[in-house]
Formats: sequence, C-alpha cells, structure tokens
Amino acid sequence: MRFRSLSLFFLAFLPLWLNAQMNPIKFERYKLPNGLTVILHEDHSTPIVVVSVLYHVGTKNEKPGLSGFAHFFEHLLFEGSDNIGRGEFDKYLKAAGGTNNAYTMQDRTYYYETVPSNQLPLALWLESERMLHAKVDAKGVETQRQVVKEERRQRTDNQPYGKIVEEIMSRAFKVHPYKTTPIGSMADLDAAKESDYVNFYHDFYLPDNAVLTLAGDLTPAQIKPIIEKYFASIPKSSKPIFRPTVVEPPLSQEVRDTVYDKVQLPAVIAAYRSPAENSDDYYAMTMLNTILAEGQSSRIYKSIVDEQQLAVAAGSFSFPLEDPGITIVFGISNMGVDPQKLENAINAQIEKVKTELISENEFQKLRNQIESNLVNKNASLDGIAQNLAVFETHYGDANLINTEINKYLKVTREDLQRVAKKYFDKNNRVLLYWLPKAQ
Amino acid sequence: MKKHIAYLFLAFALFSSQVILAQEGFRKTAPAPFPAPKIQLGNSVQTVLPNGLKVIVVENHKLPRVSFQLFIDQPIRLEGEVAGVSDIAGQLLKSGTKTRTKAQIDEAIDFIGANLSTSSSGIFAGSLTKHKDKLLDIMVDVLFNPAFPTAEFDKVKKQTLSGLSAGKDNPNFISNNVTRTLRYGKNHPYGELTTEKTVDKITVDQCKKFYQTYFKPNISYLIIVGDIKPVEAQALALKYFGKWAKGVIPTATFPQPKAPQQTEVDFVNKDGAVQSVVSITYPLDLKPGSPDEIKADLMNSILGSGSVGRLFKNLREDKGYTYGAYSSLGSSKEVGSFSADASVRNVVTDSSVTEFLKELNLLRDQKVSAYELSSTKADLAGSFARSLESPQTIAGFALNIARYKLPKDYYQTYLQKIAAVTEADVLAMAQKYLQPNQARIIVVGNQDEVAAKLAKFGKVNFFDNYGNPLTAPAPVTSDVNGDQIIENYLTALGGREKLGAVKDVILTLGASVQGQNIEMKMTQKAPNMLNQTVSMSGMTLMESRYDGVKASVSQMGQKQKLEGKDAAPVADQATMFPELNYAKNGYKVTPKGVEDVNGQPTYKLLIESPGGSKSTDFFDKKSGLKVKSLQTIEQAGQSVTTVNEYSDFKAVAGVLFPYKITTVGAMPFPLELIVKSIEVNKGVDEALFKVE
Repeated sequence: MRFRSLSLFFLAFLPLWLNAQMNPIKFERYKLPNGLTVILHEDHSTPIVVVSVLYHVGTKNEKPGLSGFAHFFEHLLFEGSDNIGRGEFDKYLKAAGGTNNAYTMQDRTYYYETVPSNQLPLALWLESERMLHAKVDAKGVETQRQVVKEERRQRTDNQPYGKIVEEIMSRAFKVHPYKTTPIGSMADLDAAKESDYVNFYHDFYLPDNAVLTLAGDLTPAQIKPIIEKYFASIPKSSKPIFRPTVVEPPLSQEVRDTVYDKVQLPAVIAAYRSPAENSDDYYAMTMLNTILAEGQSSRIYKSIVDEQQLAVAAGSFSFPLEDPGITIVFGISNMGVDPQKLENAINAQIEKVKTELISENEFQKLRNQIESNLVNKNASLDGIAQNLAVFETHYGDANLINTEINKYLKVTREDLQRVAKKYFDKNNRVLLYWLPKAQ
Repeated sequence: MKKHIAYLFLAFALFSSQVILAQEGFRKTAPAPFPAPKIQLGNSVQTVLPNGLKVIVVENHKLPRVSFQLFIDQPIRLEGEVAGVSDIAGQLLKSGTKTRTKAQIDEAIDFIGANLSTSSSGIFAGSLTKHKDKLLDIMVDVLFNPAFPTAEFDKVKKQTLSGLSAGKDNPNFISNNVTRTLRYGKNHPYGELTTEKTVDKITVDQCKKFYQTYFKPNISYLIIVGDIKPVEAQALALKYFGKWAKGVIPTATFPQPKAPQQTEVDFVNKDGAVQSVVSITYPLDLKPGSPDEIKADLMNSILGSGSVGRLFKNLREDKGYTYGAYSSLGSSKEVGSFSADASVRNVVTDSSVTEFLKELNLLRDQKVSAYELSSTKADLAGSFARSLESPQTIAGFALNIARYKLPKDYYQTYLQKIAAVTEADVLAMAQKYLQPNQARIIVVGNQDEVAAKLAKFGKVNFFDNYGNPLTAPAPVTSDVNGDQIIENYLTALGGREKLGAVKDVILTLGASVQGQNIEMKMTQKAPNMLNQTVSMSGMTLMESRYDGVKASVSQMGQKQKLEGKDAAPVADQATMFPELNYAKNGYKVTPKGVEDVNGQPTYKLLIESPGGSKSTDFFDKKSGLKVKSLQTIEQAGQSVTTVNEYSDFKAVAGVLFPYKITTVGAMPFPLELIVKSIEVNKGVDEALFKVE
C-alpha cells in the first residue's frame, strides 16, 4: 500500500524527505516474563535519564459512576508505598537532583522522572514501589480529593472557556466513555467506595498493562539486571484487563447548543466526530488542521484573525485518541462581532477544503510544516521517552517514532479533500455558541 | 465519612499483604546511586567578523535543525518621554520589509515550517537544516530592510495601549511597575516605565531612529546552534551578515541605585482589593561571575526557591497565608536586586510581612542544617545537569562568558563550586545580601483595610500606580462635616433649585474598546425611572430598565426580570441626584479623612443607603465636585469593586455634568467614557421604562 501511493509527483520530493530521517532514534524493546514491556533508548550526550511508566488505563476504563477516577488515582499514586512514607516521593527525587510529574488522558496514565544518570536506580525503585504496593492513607485520600477539586476549579471552572471540551464531549458521545473528560465529576469522587480504590489499582496497575521506558545516559548491560531486580517479581494480571468495546453510533444530525459562561468574548466551536489516531484518515485530519490553523499564514488565522479581524484567536486540532474521537475548529470572536458572522467565516473555510483541491504549492508548504513538527517532537529525552511509550502502547509499534513520517507521506491532496468531505460534515458535528453570562 | 475512610485504610493495607511474597528485603530502602557521572559541557566556537559581529557556534547534530539568534547587546539608556519605543520597533521588524509585506513574510516562514520572531534586542530564527539559506534570506531582509509600515505600526501601538490599559486593573502589573520605579529610581533605565502617555508620543520615525542607532554588528552576537559545522556556520555568518556596517553607539552612565537607609513601607492603594501583593525588595551590587554569585544563589534557593524553599514552607504550608511565597536574588552587570514576594489575604498582610522578615533574619542569624544544604546542592546540580540537554544552554553559557568576561571555565567548574559551598558560606551570604533593615516593603492593596497595620515595619509612604508619591491620607478631623460636604457638592453642581428643576436627562456616552466603538445611552426621568442601553456597531449588547419598582436586564438575547432586593443595583442608578435627599431618605454619611485623587486633595465620605448598599465618594476640596466613587458588590461569593472617576465638568441647563468618566473594575478592561450629548427636560416617553 505504501508503495502504490508513491506517485511520480511524490517521487520528486523523496530526497527531501529522506533527508529528514538522517538520525533514526535507536532503541531496544523487550518484555519481562510478567508481561512488562521495557524500552531502552541509549544516548550519552547529557548525564541524565528519563524514566517513565505508561499504564494503559485512562478515563476510558472508568466504570459508570466513577468518572474522574483514573486521574484521581494518578494523584493518589504519589502518596507513598509500603516502603515510602507519605510525601517522600518528591523528597527523594529533589534530594537526588531530579524532577517528576504525571498526567492522565482518556487512554493512558503517564508517570515520569528526570534524574542525573547515576540516580537511575532510585527512579526505578520509586516506580517499582508504585507498581507493586502503592499505599494511601485516609489523610492522603482526603488531601488529594481537595487538591483535585482545586485543580478542577483552577483549570476548568474558573478558566474562561475551561469547560469547552467537557461540554463538547458530553454532546458528541452518548454511550462511549469519551463522553466524560479526565477531570471527571467531583460527586463521583466523593461517592467512591474503598473497594473502588482497591479494584482500580488491582485491575489496571499491572506490569502487563504497562510500558517502562528509559531514555538517556544509560548502558543496557548495566541497567537490565536492575530492571529485572525491581520489576520481574511484580505479579501479572490474574484476569483479562477491562477494555471497553462500545462503539459510538454516528451523530446523524448536527447538535447545536449555546453555553453561557463567565467570559467576555463569545466563541464559536465546531466539533466534528473524527477518526481514531491509528487510522490513515487521522493523518489526513492532522494535516487539515495544519492547513486551517497552524502559523500566521494558515487559512483561518490569515483570513479570520488577521484580515477580517472577526476573531482574536482561532484554532483547529484533533484529539489523538485510540477510539474514534473529535476534531475541534474554533474561534473566539473579536469585540462586537456577531457569533453568527464568525461561524459563517469558519464554515466558509471548512467548505473550501471540502470543495477545492489544495494547490501543489500549499501542499508542499503543508508537508514542510509536518516534517518540521515531527523533527521537533523528538527534541528532548522527555519527548522521545513519551513518544516511544505511546507508539508502543497505542499503535503496538514503538518504531513509529522513526517511520510515522511515512503515514503522512501516503496522504495525497485528493485524500485531504476526501477526508474533509467525509468528516467535516454538518451532520457529524456539535456546534456550540459560547456566550457571556448575563451578570 | 470518618468510618468509611478507616475502612479504606484497612483495605489498602490488606491489599498490600496479598503481594507480601514480593516483599524482598532490598525493596525496603532507596538504592545507592551509581558513581557520579562526569559532566561534559558541549563545546562552542567563537569568532569575530571584520565588522565586529561576534559569532558563537554550538554544533549539535542530534536533530536536523539549526537556529540563528541575533542578540544586540545595547547599552542601557533612558527613553524618556517615548519610553517603550524600542519594544514597538522590535515587534515591527517582521511586519514588512522594502520588498515583502507582512503576509509575504508569514507565508515564506510557514512555507519552510520555520519560526522567526523579533524584539528590541534582536531576532531569533529556526528551521530544519535544509531550509537554512531560505531562512537566513528572510532573516537578513528583516534585519537590513525593515519598512516600518504605518498600518502595522498603528496595529502594534494599539495592541500595546490596550495591554497597558488592561494592566491598570491588575495588582501584579501595578506592583511590578511600582517596584521597578522605586527600587531603581526613575532616572535609572531599569526604573523607567512605559505608560499610555509615553506610548502615545511614539512615532514611526522614532522607531526607525532606534533601529538605526542600535542595530549594529559591533555590539551584537550571532549565535548559531544545531546541525551545522562551525566552518560552514562561520561562512554563512560572513555571507549574510558580513556587509552589515558598524556604527558608533551612544553610551551613558547612571548613578548606582541605592537601598533605603532604613526599612520603609511603600503603599499603593488598590480600591476594594481582597488580596495584597507584597514585595520586599532592594537593589544590590552582585555582578555575574563574581565570587559570591553561586554561593548567594544557593543561599537564596534555601530561602525562597520553589516549593521546598523556607518561605513557601512557612507562608503556605504552615500558615496558609498564600498560594505561593518565593524570593529571587538576581545578579546584573548594572545593578542586581533582591525580592521576596507573595500575594496574601488582606487580614494577614501584616502577619505575612512579619514572617518574611523573620525568615530573612533567621537565615542571617543561624547556620542552615547539613541536610538542607546538601539537598539544595543536589537540586541545583540536578537542574544544571538537566539544562545541559538543550544545546541552547551551551550557547547561553558561551554568550555569558563573552558578555560578562567570565573565566573560560566558569561553567565547567560550576558543579565543583556548588559542592564547595559550606554552611558558613551560606551564613555569610545571608548577612551580606539579605537586608531586612534596609528594604522597601512594597504593598499593593486595600488601603482602608491594610495600610495602618503596616506602620510597625517603618514609615508608610503612599504612591500612585506608577510610583509617583502621594500625600499621605489625613485622618478624619472634627471640623469636617459630611452633610456640609454634600451640601457644598450640590451647590457646586448648580444649587438645589436648578437640580430640582431637572425632570429628565438623556445622556449619550461613547467609548472605544479594542478598536470597536461602544455607545452608552442613559435616560432618566424623575423621580426614579431609568433606561440604559449599551450598543456596539449598531447592535444592542445590553439594556436595563427600572420603572420605579421593578427592573429588567437583557443581555445577549437573555432577559431577566429583577424585583425587590435583586433590583437594587439598577434602582440605585435610577435617581438623578440622590444627594438631594440623603437626609430625608435616611442615608448615612461618614467622613473618612482626606486623600489625594489624581494629585488633588479630596474629602472621602462613606455613603450607606438605607437598603444597605455602600459607596465611597471623593469630593474635591477646592471645587466641591465629586471626582471619584467606588462601590464594592458581592457577586457569587466574589467581591467586585467598580471605581468611577469624573472630570471635565460642563454646565447644561445650569447644572454641571462630568463629560469624562473612567470606569475600572466593571469590565475586564478599564473604560474611558466621553459624553457625546446631554439633553435636559426634553420630555421622555414613559414606555421606555416599562418592565415586562
């Protein structure tokens, strides 16, 4: 398939593209007997190592009535373990000159540390403690519940436009768990029972549901036995790991709604149901986003923000999700601009990618932008570790870090138009007017 | 709930025991580290072009990309009445050249997937290696041929003005301005402020003049980082920047800013503030590369760096006064600075200052513990090691070595210097650089609630938003009579008789918000009917009505009917001259002293309505007119303060009306309203006030 799409036109650009792949990212991948996937990327240029563990559990795996649980759990797993006292996770790292953090998404939970390379055993120990026997006491649960509530207030409730994704997802999905967002519901967190905590840990925090990635100043021969020592005896799952199989039926007609919020400027948000991240169409969708809204010369920015001054900001992006997800095209209107006028302008740009084949010149610009973005994605060990882990977990192929570019190469100008027509369909979208709330 | 939690605890412990088999002994304690790695700093190569441009190259082939940063190391200078000109000129560089429009520059940059940004101190450009020639072509076009197009100039100027205008309401913005002015003094470039007044005076020609004077190779560095061999980089530098003509750069010297003789409180009033922005600060002499620099930095890290600093632990974790408290100690070629900062609740403002000073003194008086020292060292060393991942860091080191004439091995030996710092060093640094007795305690906050309690720390001085001194507010004296001030005000407006003869008023005001014109029309009819509309480009955004009993507010297609207490905010505006009947209607008027408003002394009165709403009004001592009024209302658990200022009074039908009103707080940006017309006693249709 890959070779058939190499048209003559395309061959002319091949040397340029090959150029971009001059530094493949080398890595070694293997599995421990308990199913833990290990990925090692050796790079001695700086004496630091990034250690990450990606658990293949996210909002998607939450049971009904437990929305926000995956994210809440991420907070709890910094509390301590059988061998690490409350609050000592951070203290160990700080005193070793390291940093750490974590995030939770719809499909995954990701923990990572960056440490001076001689402290690699410490980072492995900390992550093995988290995987083997994390421990949370009553104070920890209560404290983190408050912290998560603060987080929700700060990032969602008190943030102008902070609830956009939540309002979109709840309308775009009715049966698939993507209908809730990672921050979830505070009422659900309050209602959680002790068995919920234990089960969630038991069901998902398992070596055969995780990828351990080490990137940086390490020597595989030296570090493999230490990985073995800390992780090999962690018991694997005793039953199949829960993965939702529910398929969201098509929207079938446009969902239009108005949301009132504490904002000063109205916004218009068009959210289209769009392909899953590992499908060919997803790559075309990503490229459409670039055409529409990446850079000051992009179509929406140039026309709607710069020339017509209808909006102060605009954008277009897709959520990279394992199951079919969403692509959002939005604009925040300028003072005194009727949202209808802004919607018309956005619609016009969307119609244009559906009805007109993009020019060869713009196509070349698009490919240049994509190529540049892909190179910049691997600019840090942090980025490399994460990309390896995500490609391995979500796509089953860590080597996509080197070959992903081919997926974009396959996309033709005609594909872009076809995908635009297929997904940028009025009946496939949620359209929200986000209006200032009357005082 | 308690019980539920107890079960939870048990449940977890139980769960752990299931895997007790895996609890091997080695898991009990943290493993020992490997031997410390040798930290190798990447190399940089430096050359100088014949025109004086210094070229620094850091070769790094990890990714096929390269960046070019042109840094113009301008001498410090005062910009005077056009302060801010260099910032606008810098932004304008990429807004058009002699042969390219802004749109063409944007397109050319995006076409190669590159980025290019410009500022007063130079240009940054980056792209994939293979596009470097195209990138440099645009970069030098922007550098050598900027056109400073008038339309783009107007756009940037407008954006700058709306940014400054929005900042007026932001206590951190105010604190930042006042801190700079007071710490360094107005006559030092570091203390000079860009204001709406100075931006107004900036012209395209002044931007060009700035560019022509300072954009010269002999004070500049070209820093090339990435996938490129030094030889090639140097050849490119010569090819693209070799023809750049050198010039003579004017320089000036400025007196060294000094800390105050003794600690003083510098207070800036922020009407209705619920939080105070506290900054304890002073200038100091600490040059980059001086023997003290690293030791002093370590000392400051212990005091106030991040969430492990003592200030954070004390003021947030222990006392809960604030979301965060931090300190910074900055070295500079010209003049360094110390500052310890936090935003704290009104009622704990003085307690916070006490804790700040306590922590400063503690570090001066007692040695730090061995653990605190060693973990801070590890933290600094770790962050140094992590920073080395980016080749830009190596370039930054080379630039600093060149700019500040540091020893060549300054950064090579950084970790050794960190390791060598002792408890005694930290104590010595604290005693030298922490000066709790010669500091400015700058507080931006609610004067009525906070200022008086700060007198215990030193003399309290008052300043406006830009650090201009104000006379201290005078306390209430017995010869001030509130009723008399109100009576004088009524007389100044035209007298009770003339005011009483006003039966209706139609007031039309205009304002400009981010380039859009807003029109506000207010129609009032005696005794207390109101119709008020706000419209923009012919579209009505908001209409409120009051028929004497009930009110309605419609906004963005939503209509709300308000009755009883809910109608009060609208009803309050419906009476034309409420002061006429203060006594009769049971208003309480309390004098609150004498305060400056825009440099003029005023009487400050607290007005309480029988319904419980409060307003603080300021009456000019000389003219008797009301020049300022502030109201605080509680809204969904948050208090919102609106401040109106009135000026430019003119008579209509024998009654004075303010023709200029500035309002801050009601909107997310300050608004300046100018009266377009005032019509009195024209006869108004009562249908306008009808509430349905």
